[in-house]
Amino acid sequence: MSKVETKRLRRELYPELRELTFGFVSDLEKCMQCGKCVGACPAAAVTAYNSRRMIHDIKSGNLQDVIESEELWSCFFCSTCYASCPKDINFPFTVAMLRYASLYAGYGAEYVKKIIPYAQDYYARGLTVLQPEKNPLVIARRKANSGTSGEMGDIREKMGMPRERTVSDEALAEVQFISDVSGMTKLMKRMLDRRDAAPKTRERLENVDTVKTREGKFAGFPEEQENA
Amino acid sequence: MPRPEVMARIPVDDEYFLFRSCVASNKYPGMESSTKEVFERIGVGLRESDDQTCCAGFITFTSVAEVTATMPAVARNLSIPDQAGLNTVTMCNGCYTFLTEFGHFLQHNPPIMGKVNEMLSMVGREYTGESQVLHMIDVLPKLQDRIAEQIVRPLKGIRFATHYGCHYLYGFKKDAIDDPFTPTVVEDLIEVAGGTPVDYPEARTCCGSGLTQVVIHKEDLSLPHMKAKFDSLKEADVDAIVVVCPYCLTILDRGQAKMVDRGIAQHEVPVLYITQLLGLAMGMDPVKLGLGANVTSAKKFLDKLERLDRSRATAQAARGGVPRSPQSPASSPSGETTGDGGEAANA
Repeated sequence: MSKVETKRLRRELYPELRELTFGFVSDLEKCMQCGKCVGACPAAAVTAYNSRRMIHDIKSGNLQDVIESEELWSCFFCSTCYASCPKDINFPFTVAMLRYASLYAGYGAEYVKKIIPYAQDYYARGLTVLQPEKNPLVIARRKANSGTSGEMGDIREKMGMPRERTVSDEALAEVQFISDVSGMTKLMKRMLDRRDAAPKTRERLENVDTVKTREGKFAGFPEEQENA
Repeated sequence: MPRPEVMARIPVDDEYFLFRSCVASNKYPGMESSTKEVFERIGVGLRESDDQTCCAGFITFTSVAEVTATMPAVARNLSIPDQAGLNTVTMCNGCYTFLTEFGHFLQHNPPIMGKVNEMLSMVGREYTGESQVLHMIDVLPKLQDRIAEQIVRPLKGIRFATHYGCHYLYGFKKDAIDDPFTPTVVEDLIEVAGGTPVDYPEARTCCGSGLTQVVIHKEDLSLPHMKAKFDSLKEADVDAIVVVCPYCLTILDRGQAKMVDRGIAQHEVPVLYITQLLGLAMGMDPVKLGLGANVTSAKKFLDKLERLDRSRATAQAARGGVPRSPQSPASSPSGETTGDGGEAANA
């Protein structure tokens, strides 16, 4: 696939898919503010995170407050709220979508920047979690427990497995193509550019008009100019 | 109790596609080796492919890449078992969630499925959605009888706590094999292996990381949460925790070391994946089961197992029978010998 072709596909396929997929979640209008979610929530137990309040804020038109808040980044994505919700609102999905909204409005980069290396690994190797271990505590303990150097290749070898799990070159090329066409590569680059700025939540990065809606549904995200 | 209507939907095949997990392959390879061995022993084939990559869910739900990137990535991975005509078994709650959730979404949104297949056709693939995505604990209960036949080293008197992980039961409260708040499938499998399942107050509590807390908040949120879980475990006096998700395994295993390192709490409970537990009861060598890759030492647990073996051998010999010994005995040196492994459970 040539670069020009990839670019053309990204221009044509990506915006359309994007528009369709951001209708992924909602259902917030069903919320009856019973608060079961907060009672079951592990994040609420250790932080000020409060899903009921967030839903209330969104429904009453204060989406901006939620998008700017640090609270948005406390969710554990454990889905206990969904499991206990009598109205079956899948709030973790909403949180994921709100995080994109937050990122597009210029907030939250300080949280996401720590995840970027995993995405880079995915792009480069096809796997999100790779063998190298940074934590010396983990290596030392593994060394003692496995009777090897503590390196994963040696542990796997001792177990009678190949030293590493391989991903085929074809698969890698396909993943990279899909990433380029589906907008992931571009988003990653944006995140990387922002990483060095290390902004704080509630601090505007770009002068973007953020979406406000009273429907409890997203009208859309401030579109990147590149796609226009 | 497993739900009969869900149980009925789960296919029992001669061969499945094994969807490998990044964490299992690169951090806890014992999950993979034990899964393959257990399936081999019960006569069910597993096919793998190097064309399979990460499920790609992680990067989406940590907001690094958009949903638009995950849809085609999920569809691409599923096109492999689709083409092979196999149903998919995942080892990881995360893989299960993303493959199922996005697969479901694609199948119910034809315009998106069309767009995604348009992307895939560029690389010569097609997603049809024919391959059913199953979790390891969907399949194992269906094969329970075959598993029971292979148990040569019942883990009698050994106390196991369970941790199901959120992304299977909570995320799929209607489609999961068991009730999200009172599941028993893993407990049933522990009993098949001869062990004693133990309940504890914080059993349904998340491991503390979800997808990102350990990374983005540097454990400030996760560790206090995890401490509550382990404090409750300590009171229940368990020998090991059984999990069904590699991410939970990582967090619970490493979290204990981190808590010790920071002086928050002193806990040392080995964490095993469900197939590692079954592998042990089938007499697999602990080295091959990969327990050495665990950060929290399993030595105490393995020593206890060895004492159990010895007391069983003595009892058999006293009765004049030939002991049914495991294929390869535990390799770690053991501590003092006690009369009966069953009695030693509360020691």
